[in-house]
Amino acid sequence: MSFAPRPLVQPWKRANNTRTLLILLASVLPAVLTALLVLFTGFDANLAVLAVFLPLQIVAAGLVGLSAYGKRGFGDALLIVITIFFSAFVLILLLSVFISVITEGSKAMSIQFLTQNNVYISNTTSLDYGGVGNAILGTILIVGITTILAVPLGIAMAVYLTQSQSKLRGMVRTVTQALSGLPSVVSGLFVLSIIVTFGFSKSGIFGSLALFPLMLPTVARVAEEALKLVPSDLRLAALALGAPNYKAFFQVILPAAKSGLITALLLGLARVIGETAPLLLTVNVNNGTSWDPFNGPMETLPAYVYGYLSSSFSSAHQRAWGAGLVLLILVGVLFGLARFLGRAKSLKSKPTKQKASK
Amino acid sequence: MSKSSVDKPVVARRKLSAGPLGTGDKWFFRTTSIAAYFSFVLVALVLVFLFLKAWPALQTQGVDFIFGTKWIAEDGQPLIMQIGPMIYGSMLIALVGVLIATPMAISLAYMIVFMLGTRLAKVATTLIDLLAALPSVIIGLWGFYVFTPVAINWETTLHHYLAWIPIFQVENVDNAFRGSPFIAGWIVAVMIVPIVTSVTREIFSQLDRDLINGAIALGGSRLSVFRKVILPTSSGGVVGGVLLGLGRALGETVAIFYVLQISFDINWGNLLESHGGGVASWILARFGEASPDEISGLMAAGLVLFVITLIVNFLANTIVNRSQPWRKI
Repeated sequence: MSFAPRPLVQPWKRANNTRTLLILLASVLPAVLTALLVLFTGFDANLAVLAVFLPLQIVAAGLVGLSAYGKRGFGDALLIVITIFFSAFVLILLLSVFISVITEGSKAMSIQFLTQNNVYISNTTSLDYGGVGNAILGTILIVGITTILAVPLGIAMAVYLTQSQSKLRGMVRTVTQALSGLPSVVSGLFVLSIIVTFGFSKSGIFGSLALFPLMLPTVARVAEEALKLVPSDLRLAALALGAPNYKAFFQVILPAAKSGLITALLLGLARVIGETAPLLLTVNVNNGTSWDPFNGPMETLPAYVYGYLSSSFSSAHQRAWGAGLVLLILVGVLFGLARFLGRAKSLKSKPTKQKASK
Repeated sequence: MSKSSVDKPVVARRKLSAGPLGTGDKWFFRTTSIAAYFSFVLVALVLVFLFLKAWPALQTQGVDFIFGTKWIAEDGQPLIMQIGPMIYGSMLIALVGVLIATPMAISLAYMIVFMLGTRLAKVATTLIDLLAALPSVIIGLWGFYVFTPVAINWETTLHHYLAWIPIFQVENVDNAFRGSPFIAGWIVAVMIVPIVTSVTREIFSQLDRDLINGAIALGGSRLSVFRKVILPTSSGGVVGGVLLGLGRALGETVAIFYVLQISFDINWGNLLESHGGGVASWILARFGEASPDEISGLMAAGLVLFVITLIVNFLANTIVNRSQPWRKI
């Protein structure tokens, strides 16, 4: 939907030159004035944006709106300026996170930082020694086990929600949605209570178990969306040809929904790979390299960041930023892959969506 | 006699259904049902195990565990565990976060649905989803090193000019600004903006176009269409999205732990003072040095947190699902 400009006086003319000039002036002048004020009087930049730029911009846009469209133009200008301001604010916050992690993290980055482990490394050791190799390994092992557990189960849940006729589907969906809001620290406490009750000792496998309830709802939800996108005619046609339901699923629906299900897996991975609190509660940290998730302590990337952040030495901070960058890259790659695979899906989804809205 | 033959259709309408065909199918549906019912089992397991471990603490502390205001865990003194201030702190921070995040999220959703072209809207949606995928430990890292100095600047300004408003008052300037609930609220807002935005965007994009076009045809302007048509028709879903964000905000752990000065007293709303708390962060803060008895108290705190978020999420999902009837199969 678009709000085409609706001039009051000359409805056949889209916009005249004076108006274009006015709009340009109104979008540039407040920013320039604010910048000049900050540069020459040393006015506090944060305050200037809120107390000088925003009112100026609102007034300028309002005046242009008023002159172009009359009274209604003023309200519209107000709405547009405030919307753009808030949206730009969120964008700046997001960019700030990315830029700071990338610039600070790349200072610590090197081959040995990615491959070495953390034995004999203290808060003050120079960045030429030690790294996050053991943490990357631990994260991959722990999250890998979680994936093996959660993905088949999540997909089976999605199959239940889309293919069966059971009356409990609504309830299953409600509970799954409620689970997706499970605080990560509660998931950690839950597994910790299992450890304490049965007298186990903490190890990597329990970290996997603690991540499991967090990954399951994400996988189930995204997989359900993916399965819904497969036209039901395909399934019904297979059934009409005499195929049993499981064959219809494995030979018709699964191939059609493959990319969507892989998206579910990747988004599930991205959801849990950075979870910190459950791992802190259920896995002991380890400076050395451990290949065994069933015994003994294990290092993970989030725990590594957590451990070095609390320290007050600058080389420790660098390590935290470096590990944060590795984590960000992992999340970014998973997310990008999911988007790439999901593109075909969203193209296909267009006609069905329109059908549903009618 | 003739009446009944008219009323009754000759053949009852056949119900169309695709039930299981053969043994393979039975096992197929049995497996998927077991997987689906596992979600019930999982919630029950979490409740039962947490309750089992929390019971000793709940038994010794009684109702005061939730409403009391003391947490004394020192050698030689009887253990007193009362989580009240932390529950209050969680709610305060979540409230600040929701108040900051809601206007941003509605603006973003409005921008994406009604102002941007298809391609830019897709880019913006991807960026918001990416923000949702950022791990909380990275937000915490950024919040601690990058955002806190900026926010302290904001807080100083706010305190300087608006100190007559009670929430911006500060008792002692030396003990304020860094690690305040204000900063924690902002961090929580950054983390819940994506979820509120995506729910709001979904609802905005499914609004009845004829309704909006009709309003424009009747001479509505952007502002009046937004206020009189878009907001009233989508308010239910937006409220649900905000509640969903509130649920996430209540459970946020690591990011708050970094940026907040956690202390066990009630900060009645002086947002800029350097003390506050949250149930989840308190669990993390105490966990390292806790005795087995205190662990039981932390389990009870986790149980309380779980029940609160479960209720909030359940409410939120019900509202969101009701306002999105097109999502039902």
